[in-house]
Amino acid sequence: MIRTALFCLPFAALLLATSASAGDLQIDLQGIRTHTGTVRLALVDSAAGWDGKAAPVQGQTLVPVADAAHVVFRNLPADDYAVLVTHDENDNGKLDTNVVGIPVEGYGFSNNPQVQRKPTFDEARVQVPANGASITIALR
Amino acid sequence: MDRRRFLRSLLSATTTAVIGASALRSLPAFAGDAAQFAAARDQHPWLTGWRSVTTETLGPATVPLQGRLPQGLAGTLYRNGPAWTERDGFRYDHWFDGDGMVHGWRFNGDGTLTHRARMVATPKFTREQKAGRFLYPAAGTVVPDVQPVRNNDDANAANTSVIRINGRLFALCEAGSAFELDPDDLTTLGPTTWRADLATVPFSAHPLVDRDGTVWNFGSLSLLGGTGLLIWMIGADGQLRSASVVDTPFMGYLHAFAMTDTHLVFMLMPFDYKEDGGAFFERLRFAPDRACRIAVVPKAAPDTAQWFEAAFTAAYHFGDAFQRNGRIVMRTVRHDNIDEARSPMREAMAGDAAHAVNSNASLRELHLDLRTGKAHWEDTGIQGIEFPLFDTRSAGNRGARLYAPAMQGETTAPYFNAVAGYDVARGRREIHRYGRDILAEEHVFVPRPGSRNADDGWLVGTLLDAANQRSGIAVLDAQRIDEGPVAQAWLPYAVPLGFHGTFAARG
Repeated sequence: MIRTALFCLPFAALLLATSASAGDLQIDLQGIRTHTGTVRLALVDSAAGWDGKAAPVQGQTLVPVADAAHVVFRNLPADDYAVLVTHDENDNGKLDTNVVGIPVEGYGFSNNPQVQRKPTFDEARVQVPANGASITIALR
Repeated sequence: MDRRRFLRSLLSATTTAVIGASALRSLPAFAGDAAQFAAARDQHPWLTGWRSVTTETLGPATVPLQGRLPQGLAGTLYRNGPAWTERDGFRYDHWFDGDGMVHGWRFNGDGTLTHRARMVATPKFTREQKAGRFLYPAAGTVVPDVQPVRNNDDANAANTSVIRINGRLFALCEAGSAFELDPDDLTTLGPTTWRADLATVPFSAHPLVDRDGTVWNFGSLSLLGGTGLLIWMIGADGQLRSASVVDTPFMGYLHAFAMTDTHLVFMLMPFDYKEDGGAFFERLRFAPDRACRIAVVPKAAPDTAQWFEAAFTAAYHFGDAFQRNGRIVMRTVRHDNIDEARSPMREAMAGDAAHAVNSNASLRELHLDLRTGKAHWEDTGIQGIEFPLFDTRSAGNRGARLYAPAMQGETTAPYFNAVAGYDVARGRREIHRYGRDILAEEHVFVPRPGSRNADDGWLVGTLLDAANQRSGIAVLDAQRIDEGPVAQAWLPYAVPLGFHGTFAARG
């Protein structure tokens, strides 16, 4: 057993190295205003995915315990992606909006576009090369 | 609420979110320079009225009252105004931009007065205070490296007025939620959501209180990029009674409204919205070649309106409205120069004392004939008026006496230095001039307890003594204004000029 474990270690290290540098999208989430509910991230690779006409490439959820969090999407083929983050603060399964359609819970987009609307895929687009990328998303 | 109609009005609306639109582009900042303003203030002490505060609280300071406080006058004058106007050497250039500071001027009943003030802890103020710089869009200034906002309440400065409803105190600003404050220590309890789906919908800074204590207000949905007016009806108990939507024919601007015993009157000013960037008030271009549209909304059916057209008039504030013989008359403060109206006291904000002017304003009456649907203006001949108030006990079928700051004689500051009472119909004015170096603010009418006679009461208003760099408060008999204050108090410090207040009588 011990031998096996030792034998495996270099492979484990190799695997770790691969997942840390090749095709991973590392995301620093900032500005989580309340430590309740669920933060959801959707990763898409096309305008169709961005507009809800195709399934996301990957999705993740996390339970916020601090103002910041770290999320990794692993093993992504080199491509352009966009990330949509919503914070369902009261865990009712949706991003609450008011009667005019303006969000009253937190949200954010890759590339942090300086727009007061849902950005386009192009505006939220980030490049993930074969060796991965690191981005910061500021929730608002 | 007619939800379908509401949605339809949204669908037909422009998709640009006005509040956030200023975040779309980062223009070079032309805003004022804090050091330049400070140098100008050394030369022109009256500019203290537009100086930024640098601490989250002022006071408490207890000072003796000069004169004699009238028997029966007890309570607190609450006031609000833009106060925090500079960060990191950057100075807002629009008076409406500073973060709100709420003041309590409490008559203690023992010959003393206690003043305290506290910044409203909005999300904007709290985060900017932490960051040490302005982060969020302002109504009239382009802020460098502005951050996107979650919604309009992230940019809410809560800086325009205050209202008490059923013992609760709220700081108000026209583009977002009311922020509730503790009425004693003025700490912020948070934004008010009257109903979950109405979170962040604007609750204007000029609610009006009915004879039975019902509070009427509006929220301009054009500030959120839509059209339509949301009409709030809050019971005297502070509970939401109804929220109705009146469709509007265009994206008009309004800051306040007036009402009769049976109707609410909203005047929409047409404007064009320049698409080349800048803050809201920079991009807003009033369109004086187009008519104002006026909605007369029955209190009994607040999702309906009779619409009128009248020649363009730029106005922020209204006096009373009254109804007689099938006609509504609304007293309106008309700003003669619409560019000055877009940015009142702009030069004072910039420290340009030599060019500062008080936007010339005159009192007009808007006559609305409910039978013919026709409207027209009549001039009253009254000039140099702003921030008019009146005794809400006045009869509903004739014009109320108006009380407002005024200008008279020599003055060091291009601002009000007096207070006046106007009998508009008779063309009479009673005035008290505070002096050359005094800047006079809105004077609130406080009814004499136990009296039912309109105008039986006092005026309570705040002052800035530029020569002595101190702020103060004056109490005048509303029927003997020309005799001057019956009681007055001065603080050992000066506070920035503000906008609107309310008097909370101590029972």
